Amino acid sequence: MEELFTYYDIFATKGVEYLIIIAFFILILVFWGLLNMRSH
Amino acid sequence: MAGEKLDTVAIVKEEAGPNIKNFADFWSFLKKELKPRGNIATPFNLISLPIMVLGYIFIVYRLATGLGKPITNLNQQYPWGLWIGFDVVTGVAFAGGAYVICFVVYILRAEKYHAIIRATVLNGFLAYLFYAGAIVLDIGRWWNIYNPMIGNSFGVNAVMFLVAWHFFLYMLAEFVEFSPTVAEWLGMKKLRKILGGLTLGAVVFGICLSTLHQSGLAALMIMAKNKIHPLWYTEFIPILYFVSSIFAGLSMVIFEGSISHKVFGSQLDEAHHKHYDDILVGLARICSAAMFGYFFLKIILLVHEHAVQYLNSPMGFWYLFEIVGFVLVPCFMFAHGAQNKNTSTIKFAAIITMIGIIINRLNYTFIAYNWYVPLSEKYWPAPMEYIITASIILTEIWAFRWIVNRMPVLKEPPAWAREHH
Repeated sequence: MEELFTYYDIFATKGVEYLIIIAFFILILVFWGLLNMRSH
Repeated sequence: MAGEKLDTVAIVKEEAGPNIKNFADFWSFLKKELKPRGNIATPFNLISLPIMVLGYIFIVYRLATGLGKPITNLNQQYPWGLWIGFDVVTGVAFAGGAYVICFVVYILRAEKYHAIIRATVLNGFLAYLFYAGAIVLDIGRWWNIYNPMIGNSFGVNAVMFLVAWHFFLYMLAEFVEFSPTVAEWLGMKKLRKILGGLTLGAVVFGICLSTLHQSGLAALMIMAKNKIHPLWYTEFIPILYFVSSIFAGLSMVIFEGSISHKVFGSQLDEAHHKHYDDILVGLARICSAAMFGYFFLKIILLVHEHAVQYLNSPMGFWYLFEIVGFVLVPCFMFAHGAQNKNTSTIKFAAIITMIGIIINRLNYTFIAYNWYVPLSEKYWPAPMEYIITASIILTEIWAFRWIVNRMPVLKEPPAWAREHH
């Protein structure tokens, strides 16, 4: 059963870099909304 | 009544421009224009003039005697100092505002920014002429500087070959972009029409060159792989330099524009004054978005280069101070200023950003360069290096002031030129 699942090192597979890029694309939308929001 | 009539005649004459028909006319007009206008004994002139004169003497001394002590503290271990780090690399980043604004106005057709285009292009052109021109001081055998241009040992494999040609061509492109203003000043209608037609081509050429040489300068840093601290070194330095030149250049536009509006305020009409705050808000938005992207690029590269381990060290704290204090903080300050239309916050953020760019470029040239060397053996600029740098900056300001006071840079172009446009 254990052989069916393999653990990968998130640093070796550049997984962290992908996660940062995904976070960037989500946050840029939030940031752009914030940038164009008019204050009252 | 007679006074009013005389005023009208003077305005019409000024609108028509000088009547230059031959070289003698041009020479007499130039002599008249070279004469100072207004009070010469201003505090700025009295402080800047002695520094400039002293700087010129040191420049002659440096060109005659070479690099090294007492002019510079450069040595074999530290070949890049204040002149390369500040004058050339930082100066070129600050001049980046010209290509960004040209792209926004001529390619994206955002007419809102048209009011600042002449001052920005002039600022960019002078920055290249003086700061990139300061590269002459850093070249050991400076008398050979024209060799890449004439084909005497082209050195096509050298990064400096790319930099030399890019600087040369970009200065030409910027001059062509600015030349309609010179033609308007000289009252040359036909020439103005021809030069006006060349503008768009020069802009496109200039933008292409800028994207390449902003990153091309960083290629110099790539060669120093084992000398630059791992937190700063990455093979993607060219991308970082290019992206950072967007907000560095625009911060310079905000800073320089704000000073120009105070100093040359009388040349601007009321509509321009009113419109200016709106321009600042737009520039702040672009800066903020570019800095947000730049910050994430830095984070990704930190992980990509496996440099996270170095963060818990004195150099690591310095790195964090740079990217948090001078990228993330002004990024949100720009956003806050744009959101609330607070120009004071925007101007303050522009100053912090500019300081951050200076720190970043100096990190690459001598602070994080040879970072393993003991503090006592580190390079620190010699007093003459500071004075020469100050004299170059002040000369550029004097040239900018002379041109703005005579040519239609901030003030409206003459009526005949507006018709052409």
